[in-house]
Amino acid sequence: MTSSDTYNYKVVKQFAVMTVVWGVVGMLVGVIIAAQMAWPVLNFDIPWLTFGRLRPLHTNAVVFAFGGCALFATSYYVVQRTCGVGLISDKLAAFTFWGWQLIIVSAAITLPLGITSSKEYAELEWPIDILITVVWVAYAVVFFGTMFKRKVQHIYVANWFFGAFILTIALLHVVNSAALPVTMWKSYSAYAGVQDAMVQWWYGHNAVGFFLTAGFLGIMYYFIPKQAERPVYSYRLSVVHFWALAFTYIWAGPHHLHYTALPDWTQSLGMVFSLILLAPSWGGMINGIMTLSGAWEKLRTDPILKFLIVSVSFYGMSTFEGPMMSIKTVNALSHYTDWTIGHVHSGALGWVGFISIGAMYYLIPRLFNRELYSVKLVETHFWVATIGIVLYITAMWISGIMQGLMWRAVNPDGTLTYSFVESVQAMHPYYIVRFLGGLLYLGGMLMMAYNIARTIMGPSTVKQTAPSAA
Amino acid sequence: MILKYVWGILTEPRVAWARIREEDCSVFETYIGTIIPLALISPVAGFIGTTQFGWQIGAGKPVTLTAGSAAQISIAYFGAILVSVFVIAMLVRWMSETYGDQKSLARCVALAAYTAVPMFLVGVFQIYPVLWINFLFGLPALAFSVYLLYSGVPIMMEIPVERGFLFATAVLAVGLVALVGLLASTVVLWSYGLGPAFMSG
Repeated sequence: MTSSDTYNYKVVKQFAVMTVVWGVVGMLVGVIIAAQMAWPVLNFDIPWLTFGRLRPLHTNAVVFAFGGCALFATSYYVVQRTCGVGLISDKLAAFTFWGWQLIIVSAAITLPLGITSSKEYAELEWPIDILITVVWVAYAVVFFGTMFKRKVQHIYVANWFFGAFILTIALLHVVNSAALPVTMWKSYSAYAGVQDAMVQWWYGHNAVGFFLTAGFLGIMYYFIPKQAERPVYSYRLSVVHFWALAFTYIWAGPHHLHYTALPDWTQSLGMVFSLILLAPSWGGMINGIMTLSGAWEKLRTDPILKFLIVSVSFYGMSTFEGPMMSIKTVNALSHYTDWTIGHVHSGALGWVGFISIGAMYYLIPRLFNRELYSVKLVETHFWVATIGIVLYITAMWISGIMQGLMWRAVNPDGTLTYSFVESVQAMHPYYIVRFLGGLLYLGGMLMMAYNIARTIMGPSTVKQTAPSAA
Repeated sequence: MILKYVWGILTEPRVAWARIREEDCSVFETYIGTIIPLALISPVAGFIGTTQFGWQIGAGKPVTLTAGSAAQISIAYFGAILVSVFVIAMLVRWMSETYGDQKSLARCVALAAYTAVPMFLVGVFQIYPVLWINFLFGLPALAFSVYLLYSGVPIMMEIPVERGFLFATAVLAVGLVALVGLLASTVVLWSYGLGPAFMSG
């Protein structure tokens, strides 16, 4: 492949390293707020340390900084390798890197100051929103531009997922963030009342569907076959579940608004589409598991494969749990409780976290021409993080169901059995367990940061051979 | 002999797994000798706990059930445990084709039953129904069961350890899905009026 020497690995390296850095930062903030839930005194009465300001910082840091950098790094890498060409513009790619870091830093400054649009997962105010749009358009130009000048006729399925993720996020971000600015740091949503709520959750659920699912399925479809050294189990299934996923996800948002002012038929529609979503989600899971199943004899020496297989298992579990929780009767109990938090984290820590970690352990040594510093440490990371997730999810299941039951328990005379503060008190032990789970997961991430740093600083293994295609 | 390997599986799991495989009990023998006696622990302890002491949630006063309602739940619970073990065994047998040779149903039932031993035993704490105490003891029991699963699958299914890791992970994923399904269907049934009857006052 003659064009291989023009591959732009610089931007991939930058994003890959920042993935690890922002992962540590974002998860640290998560552990801090988990500790605050268990011991509220940790607010120290400092406004910018309070839960309300740190929580959006946590979500933005893990989703858009950690997850976002992982997606930029892997999509730039995969699109070059599978199209057989370098990026269309190195300058524009560098712009997306520095622009994205600027957005993250502005988020880290404005959110603790209390500057927020109050839209969940879209808290950043309008000047930052405009910057996001500009960077995202540049990203789309680089990605699709590279795809258009490809040397291979076929577009590999991972690129379809990355492409859908980039296009849909552009659409979601622009529509949801439409707002009327009143000052430099304050704006009001372009929508009112229940329309605003519906637009918000159309955005919110598809941020899950396209940012945290389609994008990471793109990662799965490249890095699982690579690490397992086997072809995708069923290429046909991958294409079928891609289109099914793209057409179904976009309708599922209303399940976030069950039993609200949203028209009832819209809620039911959201529920039905959420249930249908199980099929394409499991299509992806089966494809991932079956691809990995053939590589069992490599498991002894390769802890990265363990990350990948557990990641896909959690994907299957949480995409089953999601439709269950979208059933109105179940939602009447689970909504606003910790069950939701547990569900989100089985997806976030299990699926998104593990597949990103696996991809970075694969990618970084190859990008820097280094041998991974310690495979044993990867193994330890795997077990520590897995135990962390299990503690987190089980604690949230129990506390969530307890909350749901306590909140709606009524005495024969119709009065509430429990006051709200009694339910808060009952949560205390589970919040401690959740904090410990988060602490373990963060501990694993710190091991990774150390391992990666030592890897990059280690001796080069370069053999002066041209990198091969795909 | 009743409860023959329970102690062994807790102290020397790998040795016990090998002996269980050698002995090759039938489905019926495993049910009579192991599953039924162990599966009784939770419902009986739960019955005593919910009728005599009551569940204590947080600082509120304990919630007690009427004897009739508690008995119904305990019997249903007992039945559910017996059925679940069998269903998991069927799933293991079905998946064993993907991960190696298909094994007899008896082998799969034994795997499911002995994996669950720590979970069965920890059910005794339901006699003192304070949720966080049950959680505290339940979690290590769950972890032990997961360990038994990962150590037991390669021995019972006679496959390499690495392949066993994949197999055990698949079983665990199916188990988690079943758990979530059970959770959701309980909530739905409860909402449609099949919930328990509480002691008033």
